[in-house]
Order: sequence, then structure tokens, then C-alpha cells
Amino acid sequence: MCSGPKERQENQGATMDSELEKVTCKFAWFNFACARDELDDSVALLAELKVLLTKFGSLPPSFKKTPNAVAELKLARTIYEHAVILSVKIKDQEAFERNFSQLKAFYMDTCGMIPPSPDEYPIRGLYLLKLLADNKIADFHTELELLPLEALNHPCIKYVVELEQSFMEGAYNQWINAREAIPHDTYVYFMDHLADTVRYEIADCTGQAYDYLPVKDAKKMLMFTSDKEFLEYITEEQHEWEIKNCSVLFHMAKPNNHLDLHPFKLMNQAFNYAWELEQIM
Amino acid sequence: MNELQKATPVAAAGTPTVSTLQRMKEIASVIEAGSLSNDVRRISRAVRLTIALRGHLIPQDVSMFLSFALPASSDAYSCLSALLPKKHGMVVDVTASESQNSIKHGLPEIEIYCYLLVLIVFIDQKKYDQAKACANASIARLKNLNSGTVDVLASRLYIYYSYVYELTNTLAEIRGNLLGLYRTATLHRDELGQETLLNLLLHNYLHYNLYDQAEKLRSKAPRFEAQSNQQFCRYLFYLGKIRTIQLKYTDAKESLFHAAQKAPTSALGFRIQCNKWAIMVRLLLGEIPERTVFVQQGMKNALTPYFELTNTVRVGDLEMFRSVADKFETTFRADRTYNLLVRLRHNVIRSGLRNISISYSRISLSDVAKKLRLDSMDPVADAESIVAKATRDGAIDATIDHANGWMVSRRRADVYSTNEPQLEFKSRIAYCLNMHNEAIKAMRFHPNSHKDRVEKLHDRHQQEEQDKRMAEEDDGDF
Repeated sequence: MCSGPKERQENQGATMDSELEKVTCKFAWFNFACARDELDDSVALLAELKVLLTKFGSLPPSFKKTPNAVAELKLARTIYEHAVILSVKIKDQEAFERNFSQLKAFYMDTCGMIPPSPDEYPIRGLYLLKLLADNKIADFHTELELLPLEALNHPCIKYVVELEQSFMEGAYNQWINAREAIPHDTYVYFMDHLADTVRYEIADCTGQAYDYLPVKDAKKMLMFTSDKEFLEYITEEQHEWEIKNCSVLFHMAKPNNHLDLHPFKLMNQAFNYAWELEQIM
Repeated sequence: MNELQKATPVAAAGTPTVSTLQRMKEIASVIEAGSLSNDVRRISRAVRLTIALRGHLIPQDVSMFLSFALPASSDAYSCLSALLPKKHGMVVDVTASESQNSIKHGLPEIEIYCYLLVLIVFIDQKKYDQAKACANASIARLKNLNSGTVDVLASRLYIYYSYVYELTNTLAEIRGNLLGLYRTATLHRDELGQETLLNLLLHNYLHYNLYDQAEKLRSKAPRFEAQSNQQFCRYLFYLGKIRTIQLKYTDAKESLFHAAQKAPTSALGFRIQCNKWAIMVRLLLGEIPERTVFVQQGMKNALTPYFELTNTVRVGDLEMFRSVADKFETTFRADRTYNLLVRLRHNVIRSGLRNISISYSRISLSDVAKKLRLDSMDPVADAESIVAKATRDGAIDATIDHANGWMVSRRRADVYSTNEPQLEFKSRIAYCLNMHNEAIKAMRFHPNSHKDRVEKLHDRHQQEEQDKRMAEEDDGDF
């Protein structure tokens, strides 16, 4: 059977269209499962979708110019966005990072080809929040540099940036205010994760700055809602703190001995200087 | 007509008006000599002479030079002369060419040099499309060549290639090409090319704020002795920028300082940029740069916004900080230091807090909040947390009395009894020693000079022996 090149091309076009249709169909199923919170089904469907996506040639990094390129790119991007949100729902941080790094390629390199996605800034804000929660401040700032100017006015991004600023300054109590004003549902998980990081910092700071604090105030500062949690925290994490007469005594670390001499270091230095001087002579 | 005037032959070495074309021919002969003797330094000299000639180049001269230097049958000639504008009524420069040695046609260096000349002319005349075409053609030609003498010209060509694309705002297009060229240069062990291309790639990434990718490339690239001082300065500058964004301020400060110092005094724009970033990094580290940094020659106007910024950080006043940030926002954004500026807010608060802690032995937290001009929903609670964090970080020495709501400063011990003077001295000594060692390494002796010295020594020995013999004879006579 000899099919001429034109027929072959049409066949190819037909198969590609049918690929696109298959993926669209499966994606609809996936959305349905997500909406009903059937997490296992959603994960399975997502895996199948990802395998199907490999058949599209127009995705990064190859970016081939196929006739359906725009539709394929848009669909692939939407699928990855939903994958990111799903990984937050199933509380899988590694999957979140993986999916986001694939999604980032879409955001960075497809600027001219498809219209921007409405979910782009909320998801990028979510990633920034995750970096903040993991205390990866250097990565946070590197990521921030990639955002264009108008992104900083978007409420989701602004929320995270202001949060990071207040933490840099030391106003950790802002976390409580921020918790009330979350811009997007998906942010809840990382905010709670952030609470642990923040709590550790606050405990460190209060331990050094206060001699003692009444239990009620200490509890409020460390953002605990019940006494029991607070007491558990102290016994598990902070062994040096003592509770006496309704107040917490922080046995601060001994003040730095400014006359710390480090004899070996000084000897090393002196030898270095002698050697250098000898070289000059 | 201009061309007739420029076509006058060279009378004597002392004539002030040596035509541009003559000069170009001289340079071509230098290149020819350099390529035949495989002497890279001659080629570099030729490049330097060309740059000095840059202001006088016009397309007509260049096309005359092309007809002189390239055989009419070569691809290069046809390609380049197609790009250049045709002259009206070409005056054949017979007299001049007679007094000049003929150049050996077919040397690859001459070809590449012609590409370079044409590219420079187009860039200076702002004809970017033709420049792009010329640059692409030259890169294609370079792929087949591999010799030390071509590498010097090639690296110049890469720089202008990248520059043309930058001027037309299409840097991202050539990223793949630059990476390919870098691979080739590494395989050919072309160190100057590697250095240049690495810098061009870093510049490309940093232009688009892709700090992550730039760092990945830089950390994996092989490092070796710097071939060119200018490329080394550029490398240090890019390294400094990357480190600043990654919050590694101490490393960044060192790199940026080195870059600013090693740069030649004529590279004013580069030094201004280095200084701007160096000032920001020092502010972020908590140091206040001295006034002398801002009044260096030629930099005063450019550094004015940074001077005012330093003032606000020193005083510790958030209101002033906000107003300076708004006033000079466009400058900071153009320099891409605006994100660093935003990070400075916490330094302003810190230095304000430090001033308060030194001046007051006890002060209520609400007064602290008022003095720091914190604007938020609950300034007192904010102030409390800020003071706690500052104590933990060691910036101030204070305790908070929560019940009464005030901050008590502990009096600091006398600074001289601590380690601090020693650490300060140590860093200064290390710096001086480093400079001394680098200066020694940088001294380059002429390779034959030691032979002269040996000869002189030999002569001196002979002389001494003669004197001794004469003295003995005199003694004998005596």
C-alpha cells in the first residue's frame, strides 16, 4: 500500500489530533476525580496523562513546531499546574518540586507562544512560600530575581515577599496576621510548615533576649493554642528552659568570653607571618 | 573629496596625516608577521592598534583595504564586500600600494581580521542588521580554524558578536551558539577563547536574571590562570553579582573589590558599576562605606543616589529610607540593584536599633517602635520581636523585660580588651600580603634578560680579575 506524502501527512495530522483528543478526554476525568477529592484515582490518572504527554513533540525542551503546538502547550501547562496543586493536596513535597520544575520551563520559555496562564503567579508564589518554609533564603532571592516587575504587585507574590521581609527584620509575630489573610487555599499547607520554622527561630530569639517570661505570654509568642502542646514542646525541644511559679526561665547561654584566646590559632597566625616575612627578605 | 585626501601616500615617518588605509595596511603586515612567526603578542598588538584606529574607520576605507588584503576569489571577500556600501568612482590607490609590501594572500588571520574590521565599522555606524550578518558569517568561518594566532582575533570577534545581539535586544538567540563555541574552545584548549566565552555566557545569563543557571555554569567550568586582565576583571564582577544574589556577601565583597581595583583606569563605566554593587554589598553586610569611595574621580554624579542611601542606612531612619528609595527608583532599577535595596530595609532598622541601644540604658518598647518609625498593625509587638532577633544575632546587647515592656541595654566591655582589634588587623595584613604576592607574580621579565645579566656578570668577573692582576703587578713592582 503506497500512500503519497500528502496522505501520510494527513494521517499524521489525524493521529496527532486524536492524541490531543485522548489527552483532553483523560484530563477531564482527572479534573472530575480531583473535584471529588479522590486522591488515589487522581494520582493514577496523572501518571497516565504524563505518559501521554511524552508523545507531544512541541513541549519543552524540543519545542518542535507542530500544527497543534499552541493547543498542546496550553494543555500540557494546565496539566502540570493541576499536578502541582494535587501534590500539595497529597502533601508530597518531592512531587511538588518535580512538577514545579517542569512547569517552570513552561513559564520561562513559552512567553511568546501562548497567552499567560491566570494561575501562574499564585503557583509561583506558592513555590516561594515553600522555599521560605524550608529556610532556603538564597534560593528564594534567586527565584525572586526571575519574576518580572509587574509580578510584585500581584497579591499572592506580594504576600510572600512581605512575609519574608518581616521575618528578615525579626517581626515573627507577623505570621499570625498573615495566617488570617491567606490569598489562596493551597497556601495553607506551607503556612503550617512555615510555622514550625518560625517557631524554632522565635524560641531561639526569646531564649537569648529574655531572662524569664510568664507562661501565658511565652505560649502566645510561640504560637501555641493549648498549654499541653506548649509543655510538650518545652520538654521535647528546649531542655534548658525551666518552668517555675507560672513563668518560664530561660537559662541563657553564658555570655561570650571576650578574652577567648584560642592559643593554636594565634600560634598558626604567628608562624604564617614569619614565613611570609622570610619570603620577602 | 575626502577619499582623495586620505589616499595621499606616506611621505616620511614624521608626517602627521598618515592615511587610515596606510595604517590598516601596516597593521595587516604586523598580523602577517605574527602569524608566520606564530607570535601571539604581535597579533595582540595589531588588535590594540586597530582599536586605536577605530574612530577613523569609514566603510570606503575598509572596502579598499578588503580589495587589497583578500584575494578576489575568496568567500570572505565576496561576502564582506556585498555587505559594505559600494563607493562612487573608486580611486585606485596605485601610488600607495607600490610603496607597500604585498601581503601573502590566503592567511586565515587576515581573513578573520577583515571580518573583525567590517563588524566594528557596522557597529559604530549603527547598522545592526548588516553587523549581524557579518558576525554570523564570521562565526561560521571560525568553526574550521584552529590556531593560537587566530584565537586572539577570534576572541575579539566573539565579544563583538555578543555585543551586536545585545544592542538589538536578542541576546537569548545566541545562547546555544555561545555554548557550542565554548565547547569547541575547550576541545581546542584555547584558553583565551574559553575565558572570553565563559564571560560572554555569564553576561548573557545575568542579562536575563538567570542567576541560577549562571552559577551552575560557572561552578562547573574549568578554571585556570587568567590570560587577559580585562576578562579576569569581568569574571570577578559577574562572580560578585552572583554571590550577592545568593546572600554570600563576604565573598561578593572580595570579588567586587578585586574587580574594581584590577580594572584599568580608563574603564570608567565598568568601575562605576563595580563600585555601585560593592557599596550595596557593604551596606548589606552592615558596614558603612567611607566618604572617599563616593568622590572618586568621574564617579561623583553616578554614585549620588548611593551616597544618599548610605546616609539613610547610617542614620537608621526608615522614613528617609523610603523617600530615597522612591526618589531614585529608576536609577536603582536600571542598575538592577532595586531588589538589593529592598533587602536593605532590615539593615536600616538594625542600625537605628543599634543607635538606640547605645544611647539609652533603658527605654520602653513603644518608644523604640516610635523612634524606628515602624508602620504596622502592632508596632510594639513588632519592636519586641525585632529587638529579640537583633540580640540573638549579636547586633545589640540587651534584655527585654516583658512585664514592664522595656528594653535594658547591657554596657559593652571596652572594645580593646576583646578580640576585635586583632581580627581587624588580621584582615588588613592578609590583604596587604595578598597584594604583595600578586604583584610579584604579575611581574614579567623579558625572556632573554637573564642572558644579558649573565653576560654582564661574566664581563664584570673578567674586569675584576684584570684589576686584581694589575693590582698584584703593582704590588710586585712596589
